[in-house]
Amino acid sequence: MRKLFALLLVAALAIPATALAAPTVEELQKKIQELSAELEDISDRVDSNEKKTATDRINWYGDLRVKADTLQYKDLASTNFGPAIAGTGMPFGEKKDFDNDILYTTRLRLGMKAKAAKNVSFSGRLSMYKVWGDSTGVQVFDSFNAFTTDGTNGGNPTGDFLRVERAYFDWKDIGGSDFYLSIGRRPSTYGPPSQFRENELRGGTPSGHLVHFNFDGITLGYKLSDLTGIEGQTVRFCYGLGYESDYGNGNLMNPEVNVEDVHLGGINFDALNDGTNFLQFTLFRAENITDAFKGLAVYPAFDTDGDGIPDSPNQGGFVSRIAATENIGDMWLGGIGFTREEMNGMNWFVSGGWNRSEPNGKLSQFGFGGLLTSTAGDTKEQDGFSAYAGIRVPAPLGKFGLEYNYGSKYWFAFTQAQDDIAGSKLAARGNVGEAYYIFDINPNMFIKVGGIYYDYEYSGSGVQVGEPVKVQDIQDGKAFTGFPVPDKVIDGYASLTVKF
Amino acid sequence: MKRISKIIACLAIVALAATSAFAAEGGNPKKGKYLYKKNCKVCHVAGAAGGALTPLSKTQRQWDRFFEKDGHKAAPEAIKSFSEQDLKDIQQFLYDHAADSDQPETCG
Repeated sequence: MRKLFALLLVAALAIPATALAAPTVEELQKKIQELSAELEDISDRVDSNEKKTATDRINWYGDLRVKADTLQYKDLASTNFGPAIAGTGMPFGEKKDFDNDILYTTRLRLGMKAKAAKNVSFSGRLSMYKVWGDSTGVQVFDSFNAFTTDGTNGGNPTGDFLRVERAYFDWKDIGGSDFYLSIGRRPSTYGPPSQFRENELRGGTPSGHLVHFNFDGITLGYKLSDLTGIEGQTVRFCYGLGYESDYGNGNLMNPEVNVEDVHLGGINFDALNDGTNFLQFTLFRAENITDAFKGLAVYPAFDTDGDGIPDSPNQGGFVSRIAATENIGDMWLGGIGFTREEMNGMNWFVSGGWNRSEPNGKLSQFGFGGLLTSTAGDTKEQDGFSAYAGIRVPAPLGKFGLEYNYGSKYWFAFTQAQDDIAGSKLAARGNVGEAYYIFDINPNMFIKVGGIYYDYEYSGSGVQVGEPVKVQDIQDGKAFTGFPVPDKVIDGYASLTVKF
Repeated sequence: MKRISKIIACLAIVALAATSAFAAEGGNPKKGKYLYKKNCKVCHVAGAAGGALTPLSKTQRQWDRFFEKDGHKAAPEAIKSFSEQDLKDIQQFLYDHAADSDQPETCG
């Protein structure tokens, strides 16, 4: 027994000694060969990754939103088109309700980013926004939203095609300075403070309270933060073209037509942007505003006897290419917006907007009036105001938000591309309230359930042509407008968004 | 209206049933930003001991790997004063602003 124990002890001592013995040269060479083979394999794999990265010129990302809306239009008043629409026209002074129980939409946005040089990059976004069961792309002209135009296509459901919503380059640190230049189809939609209700990061450069419109233009920016030490401080000089008056308008056949281009220019100043506080000042001017944008629509009726009143229904559903007939004046727009993201996850914002119209006295040849006036020769300046405030707080499984905005009689801003089905809430001349609940399923997926309540006081929200008139006066038959005017609209919605 | 109510109810159930897949769950990115600026930027700027480092220096997975496996092994004493929650907050901030995170869609 003792012998056996001694043998076991010797064996036990011997094993670790063997195990810890220095490897032989052969073993080391074998190991090196194995490692070399492995390195070669890894190198091959890295090469293929490197090749893929080098040849992938564009980085793609995007989001898909499916949404269901239920819409109720209360006390919809008639229009000058109304009586001509076969069998459906309402006489002046009458009002009706209209419901769309369920309306589904799909919005696909494909973002692109590419680096052209160390300080030059390209950004773009292709978007499809369609109604389920309709890909016509052209609608009957019963509201501003039904008018397919350059500036609003991204925000109004059109068809099953991708449009270029954004395409621009950024040339930063020009000559080693803090200047940057950006030209192209601008990131001029979904600007602050829209990001809270959209449940995304800042979606555009200018104030979303004043500009939510697809503009083509130029931004020359200067990053003041390096100079002042204030985080995120940037000043931008912006220029855009709102309307090209010659190209495509048949002017070669009729050189007499003399409509000028619409130019926009202004300053956009992010005074503070430190991730908690955001303060933005905006001031810009639109010169030679036209009575229409270029676009496509199906007129519900035509004027056949030349008296300016549509009298014959467009029974063939003929599509019309609409273009401006007059420059009707200039406009100033300005605003101050402040948002704050509290440490506890609560976000809130306040924003004020102002516009001043300077009509030149001319009227649209469509018969809809001049710049926020309906009287020929009227050059009286009018001021419009808007206030917008909201709060979003953390809630079980997500966030809860409340928003309110008010627009005065002459309020006008370029927010017509807001993608709410019933129309831009920020364009409303009246009161609008919204409540929503966001369920964050994971960082790339959320469900939003909410409702918007529009209470219009004046007609023509979001439209620059014609004197705004009281909704009550239209209902009483004392005034009429070009489009049907609802008194109140309730939009209940639920959406699911997936980012990828 | 009944139909939309049903849809809303279904969506709410889906939301309730869904499981969260947050990488740095439980972190407060705002606090993380404050801690990062106050503590990490002392060494992590160009020319300083730690070299330039921003949230954009790594991808979300790389940041997660760093916190799970690396633990700042180059200078372990530098993060000794942080509580577990502090580190979660910093991780959340870095994750939220990583190279492959959503970025503001602005020009410039």
